[in-house]
Amino acid sequence: MESDAKVIPIHPSPYNLSRQAAEAQTVLDHIVDDFSDNPESMRYFYDLFRRVYCQGEELKHEGLLVGTTCIHAPEELIYAFGATPVRLCNGSYHYDQRGADFMPAKSCSLVKATLGMLNSETVIPKIGKPDMIVNPTTCDQKKKASAMMENMGYSVYDLELPSVKESEASRVYWQRSVRQFAERLRELTGRKLTRKNLKEAMAKTGRAQAAFRTLHNFRRQSPSLILGKDAFLVTNAYFFDDIGRWTAAVEKLNEELAQREKAGFKAVQSKAPRVLFTGSPPIFPNLKLPLLIEESGGVVVADETCSANRMLYDMTAVDEWLVNDMVDSLADKYLKPCTCPIFTRNDDRRRRLLDLVSSFNVDGVVYQAFAGCQVYEMEYRSVAEEFNKAGIPLLYVETDYSPDDKGQLSTRIEAFLESLKNRRKQRA
Amino acid sequence: MKASNTRLQAVRDAVNRVDLKNFRFWFQIVAFVLFVYGGYFAIDLGSRLPFFSCGYNDEGRAGICYLLPLQHQLSQPWPRLFSLASIAILTGFLTFTLWFIVLNKGWCGYICPLGTIQDWITALRRRIGIRYSTYSESQFEQLTKVKYLLLALMILIPLGVGGGLFSHDVSPPFCLICPARMVLPAFTGDVSQFTIDFSSKTAMVMTALGIAVTALFLVGSFVRKRFFCFFCPMSALHYLLSKPALLKLKKDGNKCTRCGDCYRVCDMGIKEIADDVTTVNIMTDDCTMCLKCVSSCPENGTLKATFAGIPIFESTEEGFIKRMGKGLQHGK
Amino acid sequence: MSKLNLCVVAMLATLSMNGHCEDYRSGERRVGQGGRPGEAQAAEWRAKRGYPEGKADAADAAATPPVSAAEHRHGGAPAAASGAPAISGKHEEGAHSGGRPGGMRSGGAVWLSDSPPMRGDGSRSGSARGGGMGGMDMGGGRGGPPMKRLWPRVGNDPQKSGFAREDAEAATEIMLVSPGKSEGEPLKMPAENHAGLAFEMPAQGYYRVYLTNRKLQGDKLSISVAKAEVANFGHGGDEEEQARAMLAPRFLESAPIEIVRERQPGEKQFFQLKSGDEQAYLVLQKGLPLQGARVRFVSHQGWSKEAVSDEQGRVVFQVIRDYYPQWSEFQKRFKAACLVIAEAEAAESGSYKDQSYSSVRYQATLSGSYQPSPDDYMSYAWGLGIGLLIVLFCGVAVYLYRRRRVKPFQELRFNESK
Repeated sequence: MESDAKVIPIHPSPYNLSRQAAEAQTVLDHIVDDFSDNPESMRYFYDLFRRVYCQGEELKHEGLLVGTTCIHAPEELIYAFGATPVRLCNGSYHYDQRGADFMPAKSCSLVKATLGMLNSETVIPKIGKPDMIVNPTTCDQKKKASAMMENMGYSVYDLELPSVKESEASRVYWQRSVRQFAERLRELTGRKLTRKNLKEAMAKTGRAQAAFRTLHNFRRQSPSLILGKDAFLVTNAYFFDDIGRWTAAVEKLNEELAQREKAGFKAVQSKAPRVLFTGSPPIFPNLKLPLLIEESGGVVVADETCSANRMLYDMTAVDEWLVNDMVDSLADKYLKPCTCPIFTRNDDRRRRLLDLVSSFNVDGVVYQAFAGCQVYEMEYRSVAEEFNKAGIPLLYVETDYSPDDKGQLSTRIEAFLESLKNRRKQRA
Repeated sequence: MKASNTRLQAVRDAVNRVDLKNFRFWFQIVAFVLFVYGGYFAIDLGSRLPFFSCGYNDEGRAGICYLLPLQHQLSQPWPRLFSLASIAILTGFLTFTLWFIVLNKGWCGYICPLGTIQDWITALRRRIGIRYSTYSESQFEQLTKVKYLLLALMILIPLGVGGGLFSHDVSPPFCLICPARMVLPAFTGDVSQFTIDFSSKTAMVMTALGIAVTALFLVGSFVRKRFFCFFCPMSALHYLLSKPALLKLKKDGNKCTRCGDCYRVCDMGIKEIADDVTTVNIMTDDCTMCLKCVSSCPENGTLKATFAGIPIFESTEEGFIKRMGKGLQHGK
Repeated sequence: MSKLNLCVVAMLATLSMNGHCEDYRSGERRVGQGGRPGEAQAAEWRAKRGYPEGKADAADAAATPPVSAAEHRHGGAPAAASGAPAISGKHEEGAHSGGRPGGMRSGGAVWLSDSPPMRGDGSRSGSARGGGMGGMDMGGGRGGPPMKRLWPRVGNDPQKSGFAREDAEAATEIMLVSPGKSEGEPLKMPAENHAGLAFEMPAQGYYRVYLTNRKLQGDKLSISVAKAEVANFGHGGDEEEQARAMLAPRFLESAPIEIVRERQPGEKQFFQLKSGDEQAYLVLQKGLPLQGARVRFVSHQGWSKEAVSDEQGRVVFQVIRDYYPQWSEFQKRFKAACLVIAEAEAAESGSYKDQSYSSVRYQATLSGSYQPSPDDYMSYAWGLGIGLLIVLFCGVAVYLYRRRRVKPFQELRFNESK
């Protein structure tokens, strides 16, 4: 049809001048420049975030793109079907504000930011439109996000996750869910799930996990060889980076840490309080809390969050390398060890935290709960009781992506770290 | 002192890194040859062995499964059973117990020829690429009791025979229905057990039942890992005596993440191995002590096999990654 | 289907499945061809004597090992009622064709039985270890050593022999040789016939009893030695003692004549002779082989066969099958008594009880037992058939179940593809 009316294109301002870019730039500069002795091999990750978050560089991927909104989506299956998974969980305050339209005022920043990102024209990281979004039915807010994402024009697959993980019935239920997911992926990609491609996919993830575990183990060293903010950056990169490149970069980082260990290098002072980070996940650029801890002289030595440890730590064991056994094994790995608070009981989470405290020689625990993330808020009580019994100081911080409370948090964290130092002195 | 400690540690690390699958495969072959063909080399380890070294394998056996003489002894006429023979039964039981406590249920996972055969059948199925079956939780709970029932019958029926209540044709009852009676002699070329005995009705029923159980054994162990061990009365007897055993399977619940990897690989499908974080001696009545759980546990020192309190094989992250990595590369 | 039919079916199946029957049939040929010198000679001897050619009834051909039956002569009459083969063999005393010889024959050999006469046909299958030559009798009270009782009997038919009566003219000597001993110790002749010879068996191993009769008849001295060998082994006994017993010599150097059952290859302590087995016996005189002795094997039903010992004193018999009950009465541990009698004459001169003699007549007996051959009641065809059927049925059932099952949570499975 002909039309006289002329469309006058509005040229958007370049991304690197946008608010989001500025937000990312500020945090990244802080991470890189305000700390001395950053590991040389961290440069790969600094550059990666700069390119992707600050310059808006496009990310290339192989095959179809499958977005995941949670660690429960088995990435090995996605790789096996020749697609690329990308974790959509977002940490940007800018998107958090844009996503506020979808959710009640007092809801989880992470979910709001994810929705805000998916709803914006300029999706950062620039991954392109996912061919499918897998949304495991975890917490209420993520569950309700399904329909909203669908309304935005995405194809959404609800991966049914049981809310009890101890029972055999839910295990069987979940195994079936995973099988159905594989079936959905087969329809989507038109490929077949074979022993060979699943094995290769599992090898990819397995190697990445092994690299992560090595990094994790280096963090047991006291005084620390690497700061928590770098570790978080590394695991955040896993969300969108090419898995092979990521693994190689982590292995390189591990080599450097091994050298640091040999040289007796200290990334922090010996008296720096060692902090275990738990609760709502820090996702770049929202590394507010870990950064505050490490600015104030503490060091995050371990974490129990789904953006790092929980995502990569637990490994799959397979007895018979046949498709059926591999798929069921994967299902087990994604359900049984998970310490997510959406499950009815949190015994495993408490036991995991106590184990981390003892094996990482932790002085105190920082518990982050995003305002509106009910499950973490509700679990606080039982976790606090457990630590109280064990005599381990715990700082509970309710916050969100907004930078407004930074000053107030800084004071609290400094005071907490000071008390940890005093405790240590008293003990000595 | 320190040097020897580090050397010991190096040995331990090497053991913990071992490719258990391979080790066990060869160990089982050696044990199989020893107990199925050892008789040809004049090896005789007595008749109180705590595993299925079948006595019906007349020529090749290097010793006899205790269940055969036990049932035999129990089927003696009562006057004798309650006088002279009771001493022989007690000493026999004592010898059996002494054998048993050395390896605990390790006899099942590493030595028992019938167990080895089941593992071979499983390997065959895996080769062909047919998935295995499992019991549902409720089936598991029901079926796990069968072994105790068989144990009780295995003791009561011979007593009944001795008391004249049953015909001698039902004795020894368990041996008559045990697949080892047919399968193991066949390995030395003796297929005489694959017959139906028409000499009496009881004999006919018992031999037909034996054939049926053997047939079920073959089909069952093809679709389910260690199918027969689940019903084995020897396994029940083992469990009742396992307290003082030297070889133990231990779990440190504090280190356990309940990831279920051990449960995943368990041939018997024992859920407790993953979910129970309070019991230290984690061996259950269904366990065969194959130690696959230890080899597939990624947490350092969570599961371990100890001998007389000394750890001999521990779960390590390094060992796990090596073993699973090998599985991943395999067939590439 | 009647029980008998079933039994026949089973036996047919056995015959068709088992190679052993072939051996049974070709028994004579094998003996004739004889790898060992004694067998060859025996066959030759048999041929010389012109043994009657018996023929098995066609109806029973399938169930009867024809060669053995034909080769055995019957001491009494065939027990036709129990389905025994109707064989036109020559009877030892041909006149008694109507039934078994009545009463006992005065001229028969003395032998040692483990059951008194009239107690029937030796079917003590209820307890495999209770009676019989190979087992041991209960007794000796609680806690005491096992007791064995033997009855000297006279006659050439195991079932029809009566008590041996004390002969005033003859000198009787009874010796018991315990395991590990090379010399015997005297045993007392029972006061009453039915009491039998009783002795205790405290040690594990083979106990041997020798009953020697010496009697001078004219210028002929007749010496007869009745021997019984009783195995006494217990489960779980001293293994060294058992091993020693297996190696110990089984003859008596002082015995004027005796028969020793040659061990089967690989024979163990709980050995039991079975129908169809080939069994060799050695005739020894003071521990040395006696050539040329006439040796007769008499089966439970009275069928007999004769052979002559070779230069090693050896003679081989194949044990026939002569147990044909109704299937419902069939007992696989039916212990049939058998008897081996050896006779020889020697022109030896000497004096006995101050009277001189110019020749000696030697007679030795050895009693034993045999059980039905497992081939008579064990069927491979049925065993394998049932087994295969169940494997197939279960295999298909599992396959279909897996293919078709639509149980929730299990309905979705993948094809295994590489």
